[in-house]
Amino acid sequence: MIPDDIALQELERDALTEIVNIGVSRAASNLRKMVADQVILSVPSMEVVTKRRAARLIAEREVSDLIAVRQDFAGTFSGRALLIFPQSNSLELVRAVTGDEMSPAEIADIEHEALAETGNIILNSCLATMANMLQRSLTMTVPHIVRGDGSSLFEVGDDAASDGLVLFLYIDFAIRQRDIRGYIAMVMDLPSLAALKLLLAEFIERIVGNAA
Amino acid sequence: MTGDDAQRETDGRTRLTLAAAGASGIWDWDIAGDRLYVDDRFAALYGLDGDMAGRALPTATFFSAVHPDDRARLRIAVAGILGGAERFSKEFRLVRSDGTIVWVHGRGQGHADERDEPVRFTGLLVDVTERRLAEERLRIAQTAGGVGTFEYTDGYATVAVSAQFCRLLGLHPATALPVRTINALVAHGAPIVPEDVNAATEIAGEFMIVRADDEETRWVARRGEIMRDLDGPGFKIMGVLYDVTEAKRSEAKLRELNETLEARVQEEIAVRMQAEDTLRQAQKMEAVGQLTGGIAHDFNNLLTVIRSSVDLLRRPEISEQRQKRYIDAIADTADRAAKLTRQLLAFARRQALKPEVFNVLICVNGIADMLRTVIGARVELVIESNCEQCFVEADIGQFETAIVNMAVNARDAMNGEGRLLISLDDQPSVPAVRGHASAEGAFISVSVSDTGAGIPEDVLPRLFEPFFTTKEVGKGTGLGLSQVYGFAKQSGGEVEVTSELGHGTTFRLYLPRASTPPDAGEETRSPAQERGQGRVLVVEDNEQVNEFASDLLVDLGYETVSASNAAEAIGVLERLDGEFDMLFSDVVMPGISGVELARIVRERWPAIRIVLTSGYSHVLATDAGHGFTLLHKPYSVQELALVLQGRVAV
Repeated sequence: MIPDDIALQELERDALTEIVNIGVSRAASNLRKMVADQVILSVPSMEVVTKRRAARLIAEREVSDLIAVRQDFAGTFSGRALLIFPQSNSLELVRAVTGDEMSPAEIADIEHEALAETGNIILNSCLATMANMLQRSLTMTVPHIVRGDGSSLFEVGDDAASDGLVLFLYIDFAIRQRDIRGYIAMVMDLPSLAALKLLLAEFIERIVGNAA
Repeated sequence: MTGDDAQRETDGRTRLTLAAAGASGIWDWDIAGDRLYVDDRFAALYGLDGDMAGRALPTATFFSAVHPDDRARLRIAVAGILGGAERFSKEFRLVRSDGTIVWVHGRGQGHADERDEPVRFTGLLVDVTERRLAEERLRIAQTAGGVGTFEYTDGYATVAVSAQFCRLLGLHPATALPVRTINALVAHGAPIVPEDVNAATEIAGEFMIVRADDEETRWVARRGEIMRDLDGPGFKIMGVLYDVTEAKRSEAKLRELNETLEARVQEEIAVRMQAEDTLRQAQKMEAVGQLTGGIAHDFNNLLTVIRSSVDLLRRPEISEQRQKRYIDAIADTADRAAKLTRQLLAFARRQALKPEVFNVLICVNGIADMLRTVIGARVELVIESNCEQCFVEADIGQFETAIVNMAVNARDAMNGEGRLLISLDDQPSVPAVRGHASAEGAFISVSVSDTGAGIPEDVLPRLFEPFFTTKEVGKGTGLGLSQVYGFAKQSGGEVEVTSELGHGTTFRLYLPRASTPPDAGEETRSPAQERGQGRVLVVEDNEQVNEFASDLLVDLGYETVSASNAAEAIGVLERLDGEFDMLFSDVVMPGISGVELARIVRERWPAIRIVLTSGYSHVLATDAGHGFTLLHKPYSVQELALVLQGRVAV
């Protein structure tokens, strides 16, 4: 089903998990500093699935509408990174990063801007760390705010492209004292996956080397 | 013993105890200093010398006891932490010095300095061998049993679930699902994960769901227990979910079946009766088929007698005495032929099963001629009665069929040569046969014995199965003996077969004796002596038969007018203004049928008596008399006289 040149071997999967872990840990560390609170992370889960399936994976886990900060990245491998959480959480997140000093009206005013900035910091630190671990550089677009359900976040339509395979990985995060939870998701298309596979092999070689 | 020694000994004991108890050890990896510190429990799990605990070890020690297959994985995970990742959670195998394998779960944390540089990596190592086994068992049990588990803590937005739980609902396997996602799948009714359980201690229920992936409607059952907090209203639900769609469907089907049971029983009975009817008729036709062969042969003999008598009569010099002899011979032979065909037709007639009380001996004697024809001249037929009042209550037609079937069977067993004995006996009981218990009571038995080859023992049990036959293709359908069996059972009797190879076979048909003899009837009626009188309209399309009938009627004292079809007959009636005492008409004629004619006459000239006649078997079989007196062809003068005088209802 999945072509061999992009199917991840167990070690490559482990390696990617760790790289994402490192990236997300950096992001969480940044988020922690911003909200001055504990940020809990899950172990990343990743799968090679269709775009449509990726949308469903999110939709299954969230019935209500979502809000996301989206940034596209390009380099040796390209794709899209999303910081997703339930729409009902967004004001709470803004309140958290702005230090509980603003009135609800003020928060509503800056919601868009604050979210974009928060997302940028988190996604940037995550992706930059990953690129660093793989010894490559990435360029990133400015963050966009997207609202909607799983399908619209991933731009799944009825077109054939929606049946194309992507690497979908996501990490749950929660801010313990704030009832804020969300996901960091990353989607990469097939050419990027093939490139990523090579980078992962290099990474494994560096780490395990002849000690394995 | 020094204090150090004592301390070391104590440590050693503790370590052994803890290792035996599968306890956990801790490690502290100094990233900046590139050293590893472990406690004695960690050392015990890794099989390190107890002295190593608490000392600065090379960091490679962390991978020392790790199973080779897990080493690369673990290195990558550690590399993640060294690169700045925070969470470490890996299960891997350790190989003990004795070669045994221990599963451990290492759970760790990367620590960074204020510049986000990783400096320490600490964690806890737990022996999870037992848990792995238990998990494996649980996983197999869940998959094999199709049982999914879930755990919900009051107030949480998510439910901890098993992979099988997700599969049951058509969701992508996950370890936790939002309550809303699960409950949104319920088609209608209560939610699967209840947010309020009142005072219940356990939960049970069935839910119609629409699976998330294929949108198929399924039924799932939920069972579980509710664990309450010791203080406060909080609770936790631990439960299982399994698919009960098949059971639900069967249940619905069963309910529907129950509701329509009566109608279906009736339908089934109708179908079965139809099938039985068809089978019975087939069985009878089988017997008729067997009969006709014999009868054709017999008929040829009869025709030979008639033919040669006629030839002899044509000779000019024949004496009057001889003429009379030949004429008598022709008449007798024709009578015999008529009797045979009549029996055959009566036999083949489709009729409803109608039990009546009859004398078995009279009945058997009545078909003796036919039986002789069937079995052929080289088989001697002997009828023996050892009972006085041989009355039974059964269907006569079926009884006769059964006798014929047994006789045909006997004939074939004897290859057409031997002795066929039909014997009637009183029986005080029916012996136990084919697993049925014996039955007490008054029975009449009809035994049909042959002097044939006998039946091999292995064939005996199958004798009465429909379509079982040992005869060649075309010689028999195998329905004969099944008819005998069916008839016996239907009549509250039994059939028993005894056979001795080389000596012969006896079929013994048991029928319950009837207590009330039938009305004697008018079996011995005196022949018609008185002459008839009146005017008869004879309608018959066959000229010879018409002429013959008219002659007979004139001889009997009637005045006759002939018509060759119904239209002509009506013309005659109109012309003579219905001045007739009787209408004697054939049934099957071109144009208006005899029955139609009879109806017209009955309506317009009700005073005229009507007698119909036919030789067609289908007419006879379908109650074509339609209430009119019907005389079967060929008829004798005596029969015609009796019918016309209204003394016999045929």
